[in-house]
Amino acid sequence: MKLLKKEFRLCMHPTGYILPLMAVLILVPGYPYGVCCFYTTMVIYFICLTARENHDASYTLTLPVTRRDAVNARILFCTCLEAAQIVLMALVTLAKYAIGTMANPAGLDAGLAMIGEGLLIFALFNMIFFPLYYKDINKPGAAFLIASAAVFAWIVAEIVATYTVPFVRFRLDQPDPAYMGDKALFTAGALALFLAGTASAAMRSAKKFEAADLSL
Amino acid sequence: MANNPDALLSVRNLSKNYPAFQLKDFSFDLREGMITGFIGRNGAGKTTTINSILSFIRPDGGEVFYRGQPFAETEQKIRERIGFVSAGMTYYTRRPLKAITGVTKSFYPAWDDRAYEKTMRAFGLAEEKTPAELSNGMKIKYAMALALSHGAELFILDEPTSGLDPVSREELVEIFLRLKDEGKTILFSTHITSDLEKCADRILFIQQGNLKADEPLDDFRRRFRIVETAGSVPRELQEKSRGSCRIRDGYTTLVSAEDSEGLASREATLEEIMIHLEKGAEEA
Repeated sequence: MKLLKKEFRLCMHPTGYILPLMAVLILVPGYPYGVCCFYTTMVIYFICLTARENHDASYTLTLPVTRRDAVNARILFCTCLEAAQIVLMALVTLAKYAIGTMANPAGLDAGLAMIGEGLLIFALFNMIFFPLYYKDINKPGAAFLIASAAVFAWIVAEIVATYTVPFVRFRLDQPDPAYMGDKALFTAGALALFLAGTASAAMRSAKKFEAADLSL
Repeated sequence: MANNPDALLSVRNLSKNYPAFQLKDFSFDLREGMITGFIGRNGAGKTTTINSILSFIRPDGGEVFYRGQPFAETEQKIRERIGFVSAGMTYYTRRPLKAITGVTKSFYPAWDDRAYEKTMRAFGLAEEKTPAELSNGMKIKYAMALALSHGAELFILDEPTSGLDPVSREELVEIFLRLKDEGKTILFSTHITSDLEKCADRILFIQQGNLKADEPLDDFRRRFRIVETAGSVPRELQEKSRGSCRIRDGYTTLVSAEDSEGLASREATLEEIMIHLEKGAEEA
């Protein structure tokens, strides 16, 4: 908890208060809503970038903590931002339904399945970005580039699936409350994958960070 | 070399291999209540040694012991007792010192608010400032204030006086001497050897990754003498030379004290010893 407090007080990037608000893009008709999650992954990248510029690792490792603790705290911190983004997306979706919704031709409609889609995007990003980042904390850009490419490929695949995969097209990509059972199952599976994927990313990241020589 | 349970910190057979540099089977002890100077030219391995002790880098071999206990086993507890200060490090340049202190203190059960406030006042540091607003000397002082307030008993200082003006360096040396009077132990890495002449009890001299000396400063200095010659270095002196340097009217040559009998010689400063030994190694 002390390290998590350190992350919030010393490592938070100003964009962390602004970019999650991009959830309002869900109000825009014909927009790929998965891109909202990309803005939060950008915040995570900025946090890791400014951590490098602020010699965060050398500060943290002089504290009485282990490298594993430091990795877990950073990933938990980023997961909190991702969770905040998901909550904001849910709130904006409710607002969208209150003012009247319409079908989205660019990917899943706003709704419960879209929340699941957001969790899958974050799971994918976390599983790729963090282990690459902790292999060499001085190169967050390379890790972000690779993870972002995967995220965009996934978003494109999701849009294509809303036209080509029957289950996605006729069940998930329908305005709520239609097919809520299928959507709930999908979103619960996405949540499980998000939690398991992020935990696995944390373990692999800690292993890489523990073995790394840090040129501080 | 066995672990020395009487030493505050023992480094045993430390080695680290890089493509262009090797730290070779490095062993030494830090004695409690002493200032140990750590000298060597840039790239000799001082920072690699310190980074290995603090686990910033992973050595290929060797162990570090703290009060006889393996560092790796109780690293977290031991870190509570170590204060690390480095000239090159400036953390969170745009955050107020107050925020950095607020976070730092939460990690140390032995944190002393009164000691912190007293030190900040003595150093003339205002908590509202950010590191970006501080001079290099003040940044070092802030890092020292943090280390002094969490009850550190070992201070590892990596070139803390580099880039500071002589007055600021003198102030820091006085702080180190006060710490020593309080029984604290200091490992002071620097290539500004005049700072060590003022305060160090012992010297570690590292050359190309090899530990060349680990002894009391006075003994180290007594082992060598300087011979000044006009023009070139005579052949008989060349045979005794540990290294020669060009000066305006001739050469200065470092010789062992036992080889200096019959020669017009004088005491060598720490800087002269280091420079001449490096020259000698290059010539060899």
